[in-house]
Amino acid sequence: MDENGLLLRVTDLRKSYGDVRAVDGVSFAVPRGTVFTLLGPNGAGKTTTLEILEGLREPDSGTIEVFGRSLRRVDRATKERMGVLLQEGSFEPYLKVKEVVALFASFFARPLPVKEVLERMELTEKQNALVRTLSGGQKQRLGVAVALVGDPELVFLDEPTTGLDPQARRNIWAIVHDLEEEKKTILLTTHYMEEAETLSDDVAILDHGAIIAQGSPRALALGLGQETVIEFALVGARPEDLRELEALGTGLSTHGEAVFLKTAAFTATMERLLAWSKARGVPLSGLVVRQPNLEDVFLSLTGRRLRE
Amino acid sequence: MSTPFGRAFLGLVRAEARAFRRDRVSLFFTVVLPFLFIVVFGLVMGGGGEAVPVGYAGGSGSDGATLERVLRETEGIVPTRFPDAASLEAAIGEKKVGFGILWDGGRLRLLYEASRFQENSAFEELARGVVTRFDLARQGASPAVALDEIPLGNPAAARSFNEMVPGILAFSLLTAGLFAVSGHLTSMKARRTLDRLLTTPMPPLGLLLAVAVVRLAVALLASLVILILSQVLFRFEPTLDLGKFLALALAATVGMMGLGTGIALLVRRPQSAANVANIVSILMMFLSGVTIPVELLPPFLRAVSRGLPLTYVAQGMRHATGMEEMSAGRFWAIVLGCLGMALAAFPLLARYVVRPERR
Amino acid sequence: MRPALSFALAQLRVTLRERETLFWFVLFPVLLFVLLVAIFGSLGQEGTIHFEVGFVNRDQAAGEAGLGRRIEGILEALSRPAQEGKEPLLHLHRPAGTENLDVFRAREEEAVRYGRHALLVVVPEGFSAGVLDALSSRPGVDPVKVQVFRRAGSSSSGFALLILKQVIAGVDQAVLASAGRFRPEEAVLAETTFLGSPAGTEVRYVDFLLPGLVLMAFFTAGLFGVPGAILFAREQRILRRYWVTPFSVPQFLAGFSVTHAIVCALQFTLLILVGRFALGAEVSFASPGAALFLVLASLTFLAFGFFVASLVQTGAAGMALANAINLPMTFLSGLYYQVGTLPGPLRVLLAVNPLSYLADGLRRVIGLQGAAAPLWLSVLVPILWIGFSLFVAGRRLSWDVGR
Repeated sequence: MDENGLLLRVTDLRKSYGDVRAVDGVSFAVPRGTVFTLLGPNGAGKTTTLEILEGLREPDSGTIEVFGRSLRRVDRATKERMGVLLQEGSFEPYLKVKEVVALFASFFARPLPVKEVLERMELTEKQNALVRTLSGGQKQRLGVAVALVGDPELVFLDEPTTGLDPQARRNIWAIVHDLEEEKKTILLTTHYMEEAETLSDDVAILDHGAIIAQGSPRALALGLGQETVIEFALVGARPEDLRELEALGTGLSTHGEAVFLKTAAFTATMERLLAWSKARGVPLSGLVVRQPNLEDVFLSLTGRRLRE
Repeated sequence: MSTPFGRAFLGLVRAEARAFRRDRVSLFFTVVLPFLFIVVFGLVMGGGGEAVPVGYAGGSGSDGATLERVLRETEGIVPTRFPDAASLEAAIGEKKVGFGILWDGGRLRLLYEASRFQENSAFEELARGVVTRFDLARQGASPAVALDEIPLGNPAAARSFNEMVPGILAFSLLTAGLFAVSGHLTSMKARRTLDRLLTTPMPPLGLLLAVAVVRLAVALLASLVILILSQVLFRFEPTLDLGKFLALALAATVGMMGLGTGIALLVRRPQSAANVANIVSILMMFLSGVTIPVELLPPFLRAVSRGLPLTYVAQGMRHATGMEEMSAGRFWAIVLGCLGMALAAFPLLARYVVRPERR
Repeated sequence: MRPALSFALAQLRVTLRERETLFWFVLFPVLLFVLLVAIFGSLGQEGTIHFEVGFVNRDQAAGEAGLGRRIEGILEALSRPAQEGKEPLLHLHRPAGTENLDVFRAREEEAVRYGRHALLVVVPEGFSAGVLDALSSRPGVDPVKVQVFRRAGSSSSGFALLILKQVIAGVDQAVLASAGRFRPEEAVLAETTFLGSPAGTEVRYVDFLLPGLVLMAFFTAGLFGVPGAILFAREQRILRRYWVTPFSVPQFLAGFSVTHAIVCALQFTLLILVGRFALGAEVSFASPGAALFLVLASLTFLAFGFFVASLVQTGAAGMALANAINLPMTFLSGLYYQVGTLPGPLRVLLAVNPLSYLADGLRRVIGLQGAAAPLWLSVLVPILWIGFSLFVAGRRLSWDVGR
């Protein structure tokens, strides 16, 4: 019996490797039928958290409640209702695509028909191809096929589009949308901001093993205030320049040569910024005006970018 | 060696040395396998010349006493008496004796263990000698005609193990050269390391020389280890002609690189080249007189052995270690033959190294 | 059941599709079989060995009736082919017509020294006269000797010498008989029996080798195939994909074992077919005893493979270890040839090697050899190995790459 319609609840999860605290007190809840994303840079602890939830690792402490049951370690009955796309993983190079899907189908009590899964992942043409001949995108689609063949209620997608070209990435996004429409619950990890914004209902931002912010993408971005961000590049900025610029708006962040100036009064700030630039004789290159996004949230919380 | 070329060359040699340490296949065939061979065959065959235990039964009566006397006087056997046929047969089955002789008053039964074929032919020979002598002794006669056996050459070679060690040395040298190309260079080509090296000013020949230098050094080191081990553990006593040994070692290693070149050029997939070299080495091991003498091979295999480089290198190595006599002309012909193989192959090898890898 | 069998089928497909596996596990044992039989099977058989022998008869005084001429006659007979088309046993080299005997003899001696010829036989001057003297005096006088020069350490010289010994022994008997010293009709009857084989005849090498090669093939599949498959699959995180599904390790092991059994059956079938139809093997495995040993062997090497896999971290290290173990274990086990008496330290290895017990037991039950060790021991030692291997592997083998 799911309480409050929650499919998955994680409480105070911890995992350390020696001195390194990979997962440091992570708690979140995933309602049924939503897409929950763990967002963070490499090494933030996303994959370790997911590995614990997939049953590959045992946590040092904390509880996992899934499908209404409280578990220390994810067990077989749970895996029957789960589908997993691993971040790093291969298939036997000398198996054919359809053989791989059929093999994984045999692991589940009530799998979907292999043909149907292949069609859905657009792998029908490649069903007789050996795994070793597949491209990166095709291998990823195969991975998703394998994650879905058991007709799971809960789907884990660990970095599903890393290393894929834009077209392949969009294909995966489309698949995630379809899954959402089928009322499946999805737990996603990524370090791509656009991915988190586009796909998720709920985002938890991880850094150094802990959640530093959580909420819907819009809420998080809005948490920065009803503000606009003016982004530009400034070469050779002196400390006094930055102080002057900060006074023009409500907040300033920098990253290398890039400057992010937040403001609640866009027009006034813009006029003053242009005047400042003209008066100082300092050109503003790459001027972009936009709404705050998750990247900005992360930057303001940690001083670092999601993708270095 | 202080010129830029010299320094680059030294750097390459150092890199090659490091690469060799990590090249497990070559390491295995050049050092480990010959070492294992020495140990295994040394322990199995190193004891050569020991007397064969022979069981006998039915020795009552004067004929029985005659049999006992003949057995004791025969060289190369250690007779043991058994009370009856059953206990003799049991001892034969348990391999406590090599074979048995049973005298039942009228005939001699020679008993052998069916599965000991390697040894049975030698046993049968010994038995025949005993039967002949027994025949004569029973009738009070003694031989009028006999054989005077005069061995020529180094008596140390009488032990089959001593004959085998030079063959194994030759094998070690062969595999060092063979796998340098069909294994090491081919895998470098597959991994594109070769292409990267070629973008440097170093000419392909320089790379080949660096590889040859390292492999040769390793082969010599391995040979040294094998020689020392054989002497210390198994009483191998060579009369080493250092000049001839080094000349042969050098020629054989580079000559075998030539053979490796042939394989690399014929086999398309670089990974398969190492496998082919593997098989060729094993075949040569059996058919070149290293493990079993060439004269004992059936005629068509004997003909094959005449075409294998290892046959000649093994002969040369036996000579260089004083185990076999050979005319100086023949020895140097073998050395030159190996060098010839190397000279013929190196231009081809240089071209192979430079040739772009087909996808 | 279904997941394990499904996995077994997939694993079988993978094994048969990888060309290298196919070669080393299936083709190579067959090639080795053919090669070893070709070399060793015809060892010592007539028509296959051939020696160059030099002959000098200095016993000119005795002329055509002399013993030297008699010996020459026998050797001449041996230089004619025994069968149509086969090589004769000897090729005799004699001085041409008026050639100086000393020059010829020196050349022949050099030929033997350098290994071009197997033997040089020299009948010394006054040989026949010496023999007559020996016959007319009382028994016990030293025999008169024919000189035979051989090459030290050369096996072919040694073999040729054996032939010559028989020739001389025959001449000796004939001479003694003609002098009345020896009565051939009273010579003892010598009968040869081979113990351990059902017909009392000598076992043929091909029959001896076949069970050894079947065991070697099973061993290779276990020693190289099992660690190879598991370690590489673990390293490349293929295994991990399984562990996030309901597929469990026991199911994996069950399926894996089925695949191994099928590969062994394939190897066995191929070797039997080649042995029976191409090489003329006659030995039969159709008995419960043989089946027991074959199944036991397959299980032993499967377990051993897990053991080896549990000792290393990477696939490359696993293959290196397998290569290092392979040669000593197969050579010190009587698979290819009989291990006679071995010195101390090696005997220990032989006593521990499961291959020696399996080879011994298998050959026993198919009727190829006598009792070298009790049969129950041949079964017990492999079972102990299975237990030990599984115990160690159970504790050490990890199914996922750690951090």
